[in-house]
Amino acid sequence: MAPPDRNAVLDLAITLRLRTGQLVTALELLEETALREGQSIAGILAADSIRRAIRSPGSRPQRAALFLARLRELRYPRLTRLRESLAAEISELRLPAQVKLALPRNLDSDEFRIEITVRSNEQLKEALEALARVRVQLARIIARLGGDGGDCEL
Amino acid sequence: MVVTVSFELDSVMVENAVRTSELATRVISKLGSAVPVKFVADGREAARPQRSAADPFTAGKRTMVVMRRRAPFLMACPAGSAEFACCGYLVLNLASNCPMDCSYCFLQEYLADNPAFQIYANYHDAFDELDALLRKSPNRHFRVGTGELADSLAFDSLTGMSRDLVEFFSRRERLMLELKTKTDEIDNLMGIDPRGRTLVSWTLSPESVFRSSEHKTAAPSARINAARSLLENGYKVAFHFDPIIAYPQAERDYLELLALLFDSIAPEKISFVSMGGLRMTPALRKTARTRFPTDPMLVGEEVLSSDGRYRAFAALRTNLYRSIEKRLKEFAPGLPRYLCMESASVSERVFGVRPQHPAELGDRLASR
Repeated sequence: MAPPDRNAVLDLAITLRLRTGQLVTALELLEETALREGQSIAGILAADSIRRAIRSPGSRPQRAALFLARLRELRYPRLTRLRESLAAEISELRLPAQVKLALPRNLDSDEFRIEITVRSNEQLKEALEALARVRVQLARIIARLGGDGGDCEL
Repeated sequence: MVVTVSFELDSVMVENAVRTSELATRVISKLGSAVPVKFVADGREAARPQRSAADPFTAGKRTMVVMRRRAPFLMACPAGSAEFACCGYLVLNLASNCPMDCSYCFLQEYLADNPAFQIYANYHDAFDELDALLRKSPNRHFRVGTGELADSLAFDSLTGMSRDLVEFFSRRERLMLELKTKTDEIDNLMGIDPRGRTLVSWTLSPESVFRSSEHKTAAPSARINAARSLLENGYKVAFHFDPIIAYPQAERDYLELLALLFDSIAPEKISFVSMGGLRMTPALRKTARTRFPTDPMLVGEEVLSSDGRYRAFAALRTNLYRSIEKRLKEFAPGLPRYLCMESASVSERVFGVRPQHPAELGDRLASR
């Protein structure tokens, strides 16, 4: 690692008091992002989103977690955008509490899980009616998970 | 006659039991004194990793072992699985490992424990296995390839195996030989009549993937030129866009590659095209990243999938497949196409129809 990169990582590790596992994860994310983007590690750490995470209010562990989350977003930019957009779309559906929609972990597949938890016929009726009401939106989410919708610029 | 070999070898080991075989004699005479030849009791031992080497896998690629194969030659394609929509491909293992060095190659993991370049002197026994297969399944056609655990044509200038294979398959109506390669080593194929029973296929990648990841291979344009020459000499040709890597600008590059291909070869002359996304087990990914730490193609937006492999997340790779498929359809609507190591659901999203049963697809590809 180049000296400026090493110094930047060391500063960060001290500031956030990263645990060993967190430091290993951070290094891997930084190296891979730097390689793909043709950037230095120090340059990535100087990015606004990273600096804001490091200086955010909250405890050191909270800031460390936020920092790693921001690094993951840089490492997986298209995945992050799609996941956030789908999560927002799901949230807008305003489904009753007994209906849960779960995106695949890391969007690794096109499978979309719909979970209904009910204790009565009434609740079942309510859940099914709610799902029927948003059928078009659900179909759109399923299509986007499978690459329809022009979400992932190629 | 001593020949010039495109790939460097440090040594050749010949198992004592096959030292007088046709293949060992051919290899030794063609190498001349350029490479030291040693005789060993057991080729399997000679094929083991050289633990003292800085990179045992690279060292293994530079050691050729001529030996007897103890296991059957013919097997189902190791990529096949009930999880995936498969193409019914059969694999004939006449050699193991490859002198080229693609950063994404699964052999880095698959052959880590025996990385030497092994070639099997008793390869004529494979012909008996093929005849037995035909007797057992009298109504089926089979596509049989030698390019799964090795490149079919790398070192062919030394081994000359391709001529025997083409000759054998030319007399079997229900068999189609697929020689899969990233080389342009086609000299041995010239001047033989394959009688429509040999298909030579190339993996094709955009120039940027070739430059960063496909070390010691022929350039994409050289592969296409080799395909054109073989077409003119009575061979069938096919192309594998595999692995498709979803790097930034991938769509533009893959579409340009298609344009280059179809500018050189009329689509109706191509037997089929396959597509498959970059996929790596965690162990392979670790090995590849260690061996090729500066290859940007290995650090795309791959995530761990339910099959235990890293792949570009579903929407990204499906979108890229569809974009390529759309262009293929425009250029070549009648050209058979299939996906390798993808689920039926992805296949349906890309092609708009459920994939055929592996045996049906295999039969179709073998009889084209």
